[in-house]
Amino acid sequence: MSQIKKTIKILRRSPYQALAAALAMTLTFFVGSIFVILIIGGQLILNYVEQRPELHIFFKDEASDTRISEITQIVKSSGSVIRVKYTSKEEALAIYRERLKGEPLLLESVTADYLPRSIQVTINKPEDIISITKSVESLPEVDQVVSLTDEAISNLSTGLKIVRIGGIILVSTLMAISFLIIIMVVGMRIALRRDEISIMNLVGATKWYISRPFFVEGAIYGIVGSTIAVLLTYSMLLFYSPNIQEFLGEIQIFPVSPLFFVYLWAAEALVAILVGIIGAAIALFRYLKIR
Amino acid sequence: MIQFEQVTKAYPNGQVALENIDLAIDDSEFVFIVGSSGAGKSTLLKLITREISPTSGSILYNGEDIRKIPPDKLPILRRRVGTVFQDFKLLFTRTVFENVAVPLEVRSLKDSEVERRVSSVLEKVGLLEKANDFPVQLSGGEVQRTAIARAIVGQPEVLLADEPTGDLDPKTAESVVKVLEKINKEDKTTVIMATHNAQIVNHFKKRVVVLKKGKIEKDEKEGKYESD
Repeated sequence: MSQIKKTIKILRRSPYQALAAALAMTLTFFVGSIFVILIIGGQLILNYVEQRPELHIFFKDEASDTRISEITQIVKSSGSVIRVKYTSKEEALAIYRERLKGEPLLLESVTADYLPRSIQVTINKPEDIISITKSVESLPEVDQVVSLTDEAISNLSTGLKIVRIGGIILVSTLMAISFLIIIMVVGMRIALRRDEISIMNLVGATKWYISRPFFVEGAIYGIVGSTIAVLLTYSMLLFYSPNIQEFLGEIQIFPVSPLFFVYLWAAEALVAILVGIIGAAIALFRYLKIR
Repeated sequence: MIQFEQVTKAYPNGQVALENIDLAIDDSEFVFIVGSSGAGKSTLLKLITREISPTSGSILYNGEDIRKIPPDKLPILRRRVGTVFQDFKLLFTRTVFENVAVPLEVRSLKDSEVERRVSSVLEKVGLLEKANDFPVQLSGGEVQRTAIARAIVGQPEVLLADEPTGDLDPKTAESVVKVLEKINKEDKTTVIMATHNAQIVNHFKKRVVVLKKGKIEKDEKEGKYESD
């Protein structure tokens, strides 16, 4: 405890350098937290989609309502169907308008007549997709069968891969910057305390005694940075959770357990402390010259 | 206690600071190492704490070759040998008390023990009332006594003093050496003082080792020194 107090006293002597190091750590771990949440959230959505496959069956204009009802019945009886939702031409237009509301040119030329009627089929078992598709795709009234699940899974997987690779590259870059800033700050601190270090060395201080405050300093940057980063992420997620939930619709990922953030903080603090300590160790190896 | 055997120290620039020095200093002795500037006095003291290493020869401390002490054991030697540095080496952002406490802090002693020992030493050198002053607030003699207090607070077996009377007036210089003499007599601490102040050396009538151009010119009990 006394060592921490001493280190805090040293930090207060040059607060701007300490602030720079802590901010670099905060930025690194804040971005890290966002990517962790994106990846975990994306994985949850992917799992949901994989577990709840969907089919869209589009009908030709000449298909009668009676025939569409019959096909709906065929679909309902052919597998583990949870729900079948009919979409009329008008509803299709409403959806189209909603999705393209920022594109007036695309909207003005489209009327309900251009759009097909369809049924959205939600299935319990992914393996039933093939059998249901086979049972309806050859019917003359059916224009097209689209398995959104395959497409969604493929898109989500690709998206997650990009997020994961992008996250690794960005966080690694920021971590390297944090490393360099810590090496620089601790190096400056060693230079500032050159006389004190020299005296301590001559009156019998061990190398560990001299080095210890710098390791504690590195660890403090790590703890402060990771704590602020996780608090920021938690606040941000709390603030935006209604909007995110609205976007996700029936995919429930909120509320996120506070325990998740405790684990996230523990993991990040551990990595951040390691970054701080290793940064300090490199600075000591490079700049601490005592006999 | 301390034995120099054929010690030579040459610096990388080729300057030979000490040459074939043979010298033995016993427990509880008070020795003046004298000589003009560049005679090798400071080099001799620095060799004892292994601030520098000899080019050849060996220096024994209680029979142990200082040169062979591994780096991790070096602090133990430096805790047994207190040093009053020529340039004081005081920390100007710390008070007298905090400066004197440094050798105890590096031993990780309890705060209460540090407080007790620092107060006792400051009383011994007559600086207790200046404990909370900063070095810039002190006179030359007080700065020197602070440096002595720091050197003895760890109760060393040997006290090295490198020109402790350097810039002091004769009266203050004498009072500083009297403090060293008191430490030597009361605590049985071996004192090795490097100086070129002939007046002080001749006044205190101690063993005098005269160095000239890196060699021992004279070594006398109750010796005298005539500066060049």
